Amino acid sequence: MTTTSSHTTTAVALRGVSRGYGRGATAVRAVDDVDVEFRRGTWTAVMGPSGSGKSTLLHLAAGLERADSGRVLLGDTDITAASDNELTALRRTRIGFVFQSFNLIGSLTAEQNVALPLRLANRRPGRARVRQALDEVGLGDRARHRPRELSGGQQQRVAIARAMVTAPEVLFADEPTGALDSTAARTVLDLLRAMADRGQSIVMVTHDPAAAARADGVLFLRDGRLVGHLAGASAREVADRLVDLER
Amino acid sequence: MLRMSFAGLAERWQLFVGATLSVCLGVALVQSSLLLLISAATLDPPAGLSAAERLRFTDSAEASVALLGVVLGFSAFLAVFIISSTFAFTVAQRRRDLALLRLVGGARRHVRRLLLGEALLLGLVGTATGIPVGVAVMALQTRLLVGFGFVPEGFTGQWRGWILGASAGTGLGLALAGVLVAARRAAKVRPLDALRDPDAGRVMTAGRWLTGLFFAAGAATLIILAPLGGPGGGQAMATNVPMLAAIALTLLGPVLVPAAARLLPAAGVTGMLARANLRDEVRRSAATAAPLIVLIGIVFGQTGASASFAASAVAEQRRGIAADLVVETTGPGLPAVPGVASVSAETETLVQLTTGRGEEAETDIARALVVDPAGYARAHPGSGPLEALRGAVVAGGPGRDSFSRGDTVAVRFAGADHRLPVVAEVPTAMGGGADLLVPAGLIPAGELAGAPTRTFVTLAPGADAARVTAALSALGTVTGVEEWLHADAEARTSTNDDIMLIVLGLGGLYALIGVVNAVVIAAAARGREFAAARATGLTRGQVLRAALLESSAVTTIGIVLGALAAASTFAAVLATTSAVTGVATLDLPWTLMAAVAGTAFVITGLTSLLTSWSATRPAPVSLLGARE
Repeated sequence: MTTTSSHTTTAVALRGVSRGYGRGATAVRAVDDVDVEFRRGTWTAVMGPSGSGKSTLLHLAAGLERADSGRVLLGDTDITAASDNELTALRRTRIGFVFQSFNLIGSLTAEQNVALPLRLANRRPGRARVRQALDEVGLGDRARHRPRELSGGQQQRVAIARAMVTAPEVLFADEPTGALDSTAARTVLDLLRAMADRGQSIVMVTHDPAAAARADGVLFLRDGRLVGHLAGASAREVADRLVDLER
Repeated sequence: MLRMSFAGLAERWQLFVGATLSVCLGVALVQSSLLLLISAATLDPPAGLSAAERLRFTDSAEASVALLGVVLGFSAFLAVFIISSTFAFTVAQRRRDLALLRLVGGARRHVRRLLLGEALLLGLVGTATGIPVGVAVMALQTRLLVGFGFVPEGFTGQWRGWILGASAGTGLGLALAGVLVAARRAAKVRPLDALRDPDAGRVMTAGRWLTGLFFAAGAATLIILAPLGGPGGGQAMATNVPMLAAIALTLLGPVLVPAAARLLPAAGVTGMLARANLRDEVRRSAATAAPLIVLIGIVFGQTGASASFAASAVAEQRRGIAADLVVETTGPGLPAVPGVASVSAETETLVQLTTGRGEEAETDIARALVVDPAGYARAHPGSGPLEALRGAVVAGGPGRDSFSRGDTVAVRFAGADHRLPVVAEVPTAMGGGADLLVPAGLIPAGELAGAPTRTFVTLAPGADAARVTAALSALGTVTGVEEWLHADAEARTSTNDDIMLIVLGLGGLYALIGVVNAVVIAAAARGREFAAARATGLTRGQVLRAALLESSAVTTIGIVLGALAAASTFAAVLATTSAVTGVATLDLPWTLMAAVAGTAFVITGLTSLLTSWSATRPAPVSLLGARE
């Protein structure tokens, strides 16, 4: 892991990154020589048909998977060859995650779930700070509830509070509205929009054009390659583009 | 981390009941055995006993110390075995949660610490309950020891203050030893595993293959070496084969169980479902079969070996005795009786025997048989030339183990040490027997006043058996040789069976906890799976039937593999009996084996029905919707 001193406006950058699975006849190149930069303070949606490699792209950008070739940069830091411990430290301090399947720890309360990343970093999770994170997602009154006592939308908001409590440079979201009804999905997207407006960098994978339309820009992926970009598009435009891709 | 461990335990307490029980039982047994062991070891013979009686007293106290030692070691081993399989299994089932911890920034050491914390809490609960349970266990063990005659009436274990510390150490030690492997494995969970289907990853790791094959090689080595070990060593090696073989088969279970599942018939949709589950859920079926393999392997293997060795010893003894009647009297000698062609009077007494010299000297209590060499040779054909056995010399008896002809041994009797050359030896016997043969007249008659004497009597040709028997009956108890052989064999196996009962009963109890535990853990995670099956159109009854079928199949496989472990023991038994007595002998306790197998079926069946019944109680839809 090396950090260069040059100032950058890039939150995450992938340079010539490839990643394949399997061998021989079943080999797939999930991500194929992709060059992409996610700008600081913007919300970018990544779209594409099933199997286009969008989740792999997200995992590579977040250091959850290793690239076969190419380089991955988080801000000024090259994380391509970072060790497990270095990546762990990154996840604690500079990266936040939100997933389709909320991924809360069932035995802990909402409050304890949110405090977890701080505890793991050996920082005293100030009660006020945890409460504030929960308040920001509108769940200040649900702090003592366990995940199973919360609705899907509420669970996802707890997951967002947990991701944001460390004030990460980049928030990675993988289908954050995939398991939610439309009302709950709208609440979550409103939250993300507000965060982006305050300068939070967000990279989100989705297959929902309505969700993608809330982002600042949309990247399109097919067969592991970048095939297009839209900025400030409506849900209909995004949907049309997607239909073109699947043709 | 400790708070998270606590929350994790509270959330999934039913997964840890078995492990906690094992710690509790382990602490109780170790504490009680340790206290009794010390009490027995420091037991002083009551005043006013003769030298021989004092030796006899010390001998049985030593036997109880050895037995308690076995119980102590065995219960610690089994507790660690169950705890480690519980943790290994829960780690597999909680892979998602552990990966999640890594995803939000938990380092490997955090995951390790989480599991160690759980083990620590579990150890504390187990210890806190185990100490009072240990007091009750001590009362029970004392009753058993007195009942089986290992210690005199009125023997009690003395409580010692430091035992509380020892028990706490035992409990925490057992729990932590049990969690070590699982914690290492858990630390290898990758963060990305939280996002994929909670597939438990590869079950057969290189390490598992290696340890499995290592134990298999150990079992094979013992099978090869057992026939070369003589009667004592051979029996010891053969009875240890099932332990090693069962552990090897348990470790190789993830390969063997699905392979065996292929051989089972699959009838109807429930049968197909059950078989598919068995083959697909390798970890679950292997984890359920594991305690069964250990139970069946050890019970079948050890009882089978013990029964076979006993049968072999009886057959050998029958071949080695040429006489018509046996007279049992007290004190040496038997007056001449008309109609008797030949007698071999054998008086048994205990002596202190020292073999080796200087640094290597070893002193033990030994059984000495005072014999008339000529009579002995006639009554026991094949015992070899014993002419040299006269004066201040001894011969190696059938039960000797640490000296041979040409050595000089020190024998203590009548209050003095005597250095005596070993001038002859009889073949060692499967059933053991006296360590020393001593010519009549060497040990003063006064020392032998209370000693039991067996006299093998051969009738003169044409003598009236009834008249001779009547004449001998005036001197002592007379039995026909055949009858006496039976009675002797029974007396010998009864002590053996008592010991077997204590040790195996213990093993059975642990294995039972292990089996129930595995079924409960497996079913706890199956709510969704059952719900999916019901949503597909299976009735609740069909789901229960498939679960029951699956558990019977796993039980069958566990019993077959356990029987395989036992069979490897039987190979060692056949080779050893053949090498020692010339006749390969196998005699299996079929009733006991059938009863154990039947109980295993009933218990796994009932547990599996109960757990899947409660897992299918909620409506299927409610389970399919929620992810957490």
